[in-house]
Amino acid sequence: MSVKLPLEGVRIVEMSQLIAIPYAVKLLSDMGAQVMRIESCVRLENYRGTAFYDDRVDGEWWNRSINFHEQNRNKHSLALDLTKPEGQEALLELIAISDVFAENFTPRVIKNFGLDYEKLREVKPDIIMVSSTGYGHTGPWSNFGAIGFGTEATSGLAHMTGYEGGPPIVPEIPYTDYTAGEHTTFAIAAALVHRARTGLGQFIDVSQSQTLSSTIPEALMDYTVNGRIRERIGNASNSFAPQGCYKCNGLENFIALSAQTGDQWSALCDVLGAPEWTQDPRFNSAETRLSNRHILDELIIEKTNDWDKRDLERALQNKKIPAGAVLDGKELLFDSHLNERNFFEVAEHHESTEMPPLPYGTRPWKFSETPGRIHRSAPLLGEHNRWALVDVLGMPDNEVTAMEASGAIGTTPTLPRPVPQPSPDTLLNLGRIIRHEADFKNQIQRKFVANRP
Amino acid sequence: MAQGAFEGIKVIDLTHHIAGPYCTKLLADFGAEVIKIERPGAGDPARNSGPFAGDIPDPDRSLPFLYLNTNKRSITLDITSDAGQDILKQLIRDSHLLVENFRPGTLSALGLSYEELRSINPPLVQVSISNFGQTGPYRDYEATDIVEYALGGLMYIFGLNEREPLKHSMNQAQYKAGVNAASGASIALLHQQLTGQGQWVDVSIQESVASAIRDTASAYGYTGVVKWRQPKETGEIPRGPVKVSDGYIMPINFGPVDWESTADFLDAPDLMDEKFATPDSRVENAVEFDSIISEAFEKREKFEIFYEAHKQRRLIYGVVHDPKEVVENPQYIWREFFKEIEHPVTGTLSYPGAPFSMSATPWSVQAPAPTVGQHNREIYEDKLGIPESAIARLFAAGVI
Repeated sequence: MSVKLPLEGVRIVEMSQLIAIPYAVKLLSDMGAQVMRIESCVRLENYRGTAFYDDRVDGEWWNRSINFHEQNRNKHSLALDLTKPEGQEALLELIAISDVFAENFTPRVIKNFGLDYEKLREVKPDIIMVSSTGYGHTGPWSNFGAIGFGTEATSGLAHMTGYEGGPPIVPEIPYTDYTAGEHTTFAIAAALVHRARTGLGQFIDVSQSQTLSSTIPEALMDYTVNGRIRERIGNASNSFAPQGCYKCNGLENFIALSAQTGDQWSALCDVLGAPEWTQDPRFNSAETRLSNRHILDELIIEKTNDWDKRDLERALQNKKIPAGAVLDGKELLFDSHLNERNFFEVAEHHESTEMPPLPYGTRPWKFSETPGRIHRSAPLLGEHNRWALVDVLGMPDNEVTAMEASGAIGTTPTLPRPVPQPSPDTLLNLGRIIRHEADFKNQIQRKFVANRP
Repeated sequence: MAQGAFEGIKVIDLTHHIAGPYCTKLLADFGAEVIKIERPGAGDPARNSGPFAGDIPDPDRSLPFLYLNTNKRSITLDITSDAGQDILKQLIRDSHLLVENFRPGTLSALGLSYEELRSINPPLVQVSISNFGQTGPYRDYEATDIVEYALGGLMYIFGLNEREPLKHSMNQAQYKAGVNAASGASIALLHQQLTGQGQWVDVSIQESVASAIRDTASAYGYTGVVKWRQPKETGEIPRGPVKVSDGYIMPINFGPVDWESTADFLDAPDLMDEKFATPDSRVENAVEFDSIISEAFEKREKFEIFYEAHKQRRLIYGVVHDPKEVVENPQYIWREFFKEIEHPVTGTLSYPGAPFSMSATPWSVQAPAPTVGQHNREIYEDKLGIPESAIARLFAAGVI
């Protein structure tokens, strides 16, 4: 018998796409919340349409997408046509017995569905509604659509990030969606704490751009207070040197390190076999190291170039110098530390997907008494139509059958059109990926599945 | 005045630097009563981190410190001394939550393990934030933000593939862990309220990064590919910031919008040439394609093209704001994101405000960041009832 999780008994209705809301709610579902994802067969969630297990676009490809699986484990799927009155009605009935309604559409779209907070309060007075939008639910930009790359630009972070002398750069993932998601998880949990004590629900308005701006006070207040706007300086620090990402032995091997203190600096020189640097007038004080950081970086690379990145990481860490190998995705998945902490959990997939059990990253916390868990993989499209309507809402069977017949619920996209993906070989030739390993299935099976209890 | 979501929740804050203070700031800005315990004398080392107001280094002028410690009360206490530990335990006995971000094992070595603290307050929730978590081979590793990016998997995929991997400017990994810790704390507090059960929540900064990298790791299990940084010339509408005449714009095609609608939007008829007709042919002619695209963008101005794109709804462009433009942004002004906060040392400064709005339990700043030990008298004398003479002795002994 498993431990009762903190959010058991909390029901969340989620109408969302991509990451900002799905990620936030995923973390809550790990901690026990029951999540009903409202989906559409007409407007298929974007992530269902791209990047599939084993690149397979045959059969029910929409149930095999990596990014959909990443964001939606533990959730149930109810595929409703909200343009039909019976679809709308079912959704409102569901909200009436739920605790949280979470969505990330623009206010224009959500009002068109008749799903504003005032309306929801009529069916569920203590509902917690959370709306996550690029720039906030109110104001002149409220109906501007956004994904993470755009809000990273608006927030102020992108301007500060990039190689020295080069343009702003953003990472390969929609970064702000996660920052917004993290703050949304907190906001929902805070509202649940408040409701547990007062019985009152409320409306939460998350501006994804604002959440990211909230994490860069160093830059924003330097401007509001000192009128200063700093230039991009890559991986370097404004206050000490050296800090950077340095090439190691072999293809695409790097180490990241910082030497903040005098002790760390002299230990770094020792490990790199250059104790004479500590006497060099260009580097013998914190000030001179900072002003000569470009020369210093070049000298460091000459040394790191001969090292294996993991050997150098251990040598530096043994001397208390902050350092870490730059791990690629596979190295992260197979990392000894993360696996000793069971950071990745294996989820089984529905047999119709023909996908084996696969590992997924879990969550940024570990609870001692009520640990969270992945208890099922992401749902098939409409997998829980009947369960939601019959078992949860108590609708008569024949009504549900009628809804199936009218297309008010469904399990198949109406316009099946997977976005074609280039093959791994093509991606490799184009320089979009660094490696492709043909035996990945065996490697995953051996590492994560074979020895499971 | 409406109350915050955590009104009446008592928090003992044994944190310093960024991740821990951001966690307790979020709780305090939404109503929790946070008592920040600082080292006698210097206080939180973050007080020494710049930039400083007026560029004057001073423990009460550090801008990150001022931002991260709103609404908290500060007391000084040497928790390595017996007398200090007695006082700490008195405070913990009466609290819902303890947040700390010492190195793993530090509190245990002082005789202040979670088991010990729970014995004096069974429903206590303790949140511990650390670089790599409380267990595992990297537990005692040193880290800075860049090391967390490297070992968290975000750095390898960040930047150009002809250059070294990159990280975000400033301290994103620490802020991520801070907000995750606030979520963990809230969920554990809810469980405490409903069941009376306390627990220990272990938050890892590395795992905060590794949780937020989409399919970077799982792609290997799906298709055997290992992702990395992207090449410069792509033969596609760029997915990163693009230069326009007065700055940078972030072009984004959402969903089924094809590149032709962008070509049309950019008014670049050359792109309609046969040699760019298919994805493969665009990639074959990537250099030429990219140069036409960049020329078309460079003719435009950033706000003109941003607003024009949003008129089309599906071209959901972003615009690269520098900090001045963030402050002057009409949406941020309309939503009153920046807040003026008065502080006895710095005077009134403008701070980033609410990350999100809650209709019933609004974000608010009732007090600026404290000076070191500003609330010693209030907490020790008024709250704990320690006589003035005893406080003087503790002060003389360096305990407070």
